[in-house]
Amino acid sequence: MSTRSPAPVLGAALAVLRKDLLAEWRTRIAVNALFLFAFAVLVLVGYAVGPTRLAPEDRPTVNAVLLWIVIFFSAMTGLARVFVKEEEAGTASALRLAAPPAAVLLGKYLVNVVLLFAVTAFIVPLFLVLTSFEIACPPLLVALLVLGGLGLAGASTFTAALVSKAAAKGALFAVLSIPLLLPPLVAAVSGTQVAARESSFAAGLDFVRVLVAYDGVVTTAAFLLFDAVWRE
Amino acid sequence: MRLVADKLTRSYGARRIFGPLSLEIPKGTVLGVSGSNGSGKTTLLKTLAGLIRASGGSAKIFLEGEEAGAGHAPREVAWAIGWVAPDLALYGELTAEENLEFFERVRGRAPAIGRARALLEGVGLPPHSHSKKSLSSLSTGQRQRVKLAYATLHEPAVLFLDEPSSNLDADGVEVVARVVAAQRERGIAIIASNDLRDLALADETVSL
Repeated sequence: MSTRSPAPVLGAALAVLRKDLLAEWRTRIAVNALFLFAFAVLVLVGYAVGPTRLAPEDRPTVNAVLLWIVIFFSAMTGLARVFVKEEEAGTASALRLAAPPAAVLLGKYLVNVVLLFAVTAFIVPLFLVLTSFEIACPPLLVALLVLGGLGLAGASTFTAALVSKAAAKGALFAVLSIPLLLPPLVAAVSGTQVAARESSFAAGLDFVRVLVAYDGVVTTAAFLLFDAVWRE
Repeated sequence: MRLVADKLTRSYGARRIFGPLSLEIPKGTVLGVSGSNGSGKTTLLKTLAGLIRASGGSAKIFLEGEEAGAGHAPREVAWAIGWVAPDLALYGELTAEENLEFFERVRGRAPAIGRARALLEGVGLPPHSHSKKSLSSLSTGQRQRVKLAYATLHEPAVLFLDEPSSNLDADGVEVVARVVAAQRERGIAIIASNDLRDLALADETVSL
């Protein structure tokens, strides 16, 4: 007889993560979309601005923007799938009945973090080489990439849950995500410009703080609101 | 254990799908729900299971040993509900066993060795028929059997079966009868169908 209580959140979230990564490994739909988009844009950026087409003093400003544009649009390409595919394939009901909502959100968030960090690890070294983008403070850039990635993944995951039942998912995902993601993107771009110019981590600390605060707010809001979004 | 609906209603805008409906289903009961296409059978089951919100009234599940309490809204005890329906799908990229093991894990239970395989054999799927195949490569009838195994994997208190015999051969219909008989011992089953073979398994039938 079933008289157990709901499953622990962390264990169930890891099960969702494992299942999604296994399914992704077998189909490679999101991975292909993310990496092909990132590769195409990198080639275009490398061709358009290359190592010699920008004056050295302009490189931090222009390259920081371009780097985050590539990361942002790569995220938009693949991260919505975590919830959209559950609704489109008809598996959402099974997941709703079996897993605690918080575990579903955490598991899907972790899937997007893994995907985004993988594509970021692919994009950033190639971008730095193709554009001869020199970073004066690499630890600051790494901190911005990690915190910016967590924010992008968090907001994208929650927005994906919101739009998953809508008819025009792609358009709605972009419309809802862009205003949500502007604050961390502005902080990440500004911080990356500082990382290119200044060798001191402290020079970019304000931008790190903004990203930490954003990640905290987005994660908290997502967990508070997700139950209503997922169940309705 | 019992399931109680009190003036339960579901509408879409001004269009009422069913209700107000009041009923009490005690443990050991199999309830059939019949009605023409579009009469609201599936909507009733989804509302009782907490998959969609009621427009009015309430549904409560009183679990074993909690009969004197206030009862639980179905979505509060989703882990005690089993669900099979035509629009339900499991993960096509995984094998049948991997699907069942995943649903064990998200319910907080470590998958017992051989349990998924035994359940699948119980619904008429011996290992050679599915063990190395993704779910999407199985036939529609085989996938329906996997859904029956999924729905009973956690020994639910309340089992909802929407058109359970659809796409099943005669042997598969026997499997449905066995699943319902086991559920009668364990708790409550509610079957929505127009198939007389399904409705014959019910103790009583509500017509919408």
